[in-house]
Amino acid sequence: MSDAQTNGQLASAASSEVMIDVNKMNKWYGSFHVLKDIDLVVHKGERFVICGPSGSGKSTLIRCINALEDHQEGDIIVDGIKLGKNLKNLDHIRTEVGMVFQNFNLFPHLTILENLTLGPIWVRKMPKAEAIEAAMMYLERVKIPEQADKYPGQMSGGQQQRVAIARSLCMNPKIMLFDEPTSALDPEMIKEVLDVMVELAETGMTMVVVTHEMGFAKTIADEVIFMDEGDIVERNNPTAFFDHPEHERTQKFLSQIL
Amino acid sequence: MAIVNTNKTPDRAAPISETSMLGWLRRNMFSSVFNTLLTLSMAYIIYLSVKGILVWGLFDATFVADNRRECYDNSLTGACWAGVIDWLDNIFYGRYPRDEIWRINAGGLLLVLWMLPMWLPRVRGKVLIGATVVVFYPFLAGYMFSGGEMGLFIQIMASGAIASFVIIVANALVGLTKDVGLDTFVLEALGKTKAPDKTQRNLLIVLAVALFVVANLWVSTWALEGVSWTKWGGLFLTLVISGIGIASSLPGGILLALGRRSELPVVRVLSTGFIEVFRSVPLITVLFMATTMFPLFMPEGFVLNKLTQVIIAVILFNACYMAEIVRAGLQAIPKGQFEGAHTIGLGYWGTMGLIVMPQALKHMIPNIVGNLIGLLKDTTLVSIIGLFDLLGMLRSISKDVPWLGLHKEPLIFGAFLFFIICFSMSKYSRHLEVKLSAGEKH
Repeated sequence: MSDAQTNGQLASAASSEVMIDVNKMNKWYGSFHVLKDIDLVVHKGERFVICGPSGSGKSTLIRCINALEDHQEGDIIVDGIKLGKNLKNLDHIRTEVGMVFQNFNLFPHLTILENLTLGPIWVRKMPKAEAIEAAMMYLERVKIPEQADKYPGQMSGGQQQRVAIARSLCMNPKIMLFDEPTSALDPEMIKEVLDVMVELAETGMTMVVVTHEMGFAKTIADEVIFMDEGDIVERNNPTAFFDHPEHERTQKFLSQIL
Repeated sequence: MAIVNTNKTPDRAAPISETSMLGWLRRNMFSSVFNTLLTLSMAYIIYLSVKGILVWGLFDATFVADNRRECYDNSLTGACWAGVIDWLDNIFYGRYPRDEIWRINAGGLLLVLWMLPMWLPRVRGKVLIGATVVVFYPFLAGYMFSGGEMGLFIQIMASGAIASFVIIVANALVGLTKDVGLDTFVLEALGKTKAPDKTQRNLLIVLAVALFVVANLWVSTWALEGVSWTKWGGLFLTLVISGIGIASSLPGGILLALGRRSELPVVRVLSTGFIEVFRSVPLITVLFMATTMFPLFMPEGFVLNKLTQVIIAVILFNACYMAEIVRAGLQAIPKGQFEGAHTIGLGYWGTMGLIVMPQALKHMIPNIVGNLIGLLKDTTLVSIIGLFDLLGMLRSISKDVPWLGLHKEPLIFGAFLFFIICFSMSKYSRHLEVKLSAGEKH
């Protein structure tokens, strides 16, 4: 277990540089209003945890930040670039923003090493030897360098998720988004993934994490956001958020989950 | 009750009924009175038919005769293979001039040697092998088979073919003996391994261009006698039509399938319309349309020969079927794979080419090969519009004066040839499936 988890709260690494700026953003699926007037500013090095009941729009929000979904109203500005229909911008944003999914989304036809080097070689145009070296470095960091030649299907869920984190890190992103990274895992595997994420937080990475792991949220978060039915209902620092939730809906949610 | 057994129970040999041949027979063949009766009667039927086939096709058959009369004189109950043997050259090469047949054999051998390294271990650059064979070989083979005047374009493509063939073979030899790629081998031989990447690349390009120039000088001295396509026939023609059809319908099908799934409405509507129209019409209709109506749409003076028209029709028809197979394969790929590819910054073509297609194609192999086998067999329809492919040749044996009325033997021989080709394709596809799914468990 890392120091951070035993000592409690991790020191904030936030600076004043704005990485993500969501401004009065609205999104509809057909006629269903998923996200309502979302305002959110994430600074460089800041770590946000988003929680809320299912269907509250939390996943949709971070998918919008990575332009996997489009929004209809308002602005999303990531790393100084405004998201829109411009395809060139999209590709640029996606190389700067790493994303880890609930279902890993590794490429089953490629080995772990190929999964990791694909982006650097084809998108970043990095020489192959250099890409492999970097990939092995990140595999060390997620503690599975010996699995480099295996296929994703031969690994446990926890290992796959750590590979997915390493795959995103290989692109050297400025922001990491996590969409319920531990929800599809067995209990004993959740910890190994969270440990890797805590270590990542210690390096000062800007992170937005959708999760129900409240212990993890307490440890790393600079701010916790509670969403319900497309609204940001409450936001606070983790101590205040967990000890004295203000809104009635937050209280109800926390009492069910803790 | 806590501990049930403190000693590990030792393994014992399985009962004899599980392991011996006799046990197997008893379980699968003679498990009841009814099954025993069934087994015995089936065995008798198999005995009768195999005996009949062997007596007719082998023991009572005539292999040497000048005409059908002699066959009958020799044996009334046996096959007359002499007719097939007499026509063997026609069956394989059609009416291609006998002195020029080496060109077909050389072209075939070239293709085999070119493709062979793809299946050899330790050989590098297999993608390059596939790419060069698709880009260059058809032009070289086209000139070898048809001969005559060589245009500038054909000359360039044929030289490219010769140059890349030399490179492929050299690369395969170096790979087999030294276990390195040709590029590393050449750079090592020249002592340039330490040079900057750019110098190395330029050096390799210069060498390739030099090879191309030499090939071009050689090719420009070629003067092969022209052979009209009307003389092409037999198995050769069948393989030409189906070979081009197979090589083109898969890429065509992939493009059509991507088009049908495109987000651009014009591309989508055009692809869908094209696929639906061609799929809704029998191949024979498409063939007739290609040979009778196609010329009407062409500008005046622009004449495609019948063979080209037929090949185009076969490609278009099969590309549409292929497109639907590819589309089914694409739909089986989960959305997460597209999203995973997007998050590492891959664009549309990168996502399709590196992530989606390789996975989809693997699932599609049985269907694709099934379709290719169908394509090969469907080419026999061209004999209806007057091309003498394998089937056309076999049927004309019965109209040849010495062998008048000899139908059975040629057709059985044709069936045998088709079976060998199609069965190998099917076996190879099975092998590919197993090979590609090795290491991958879902």
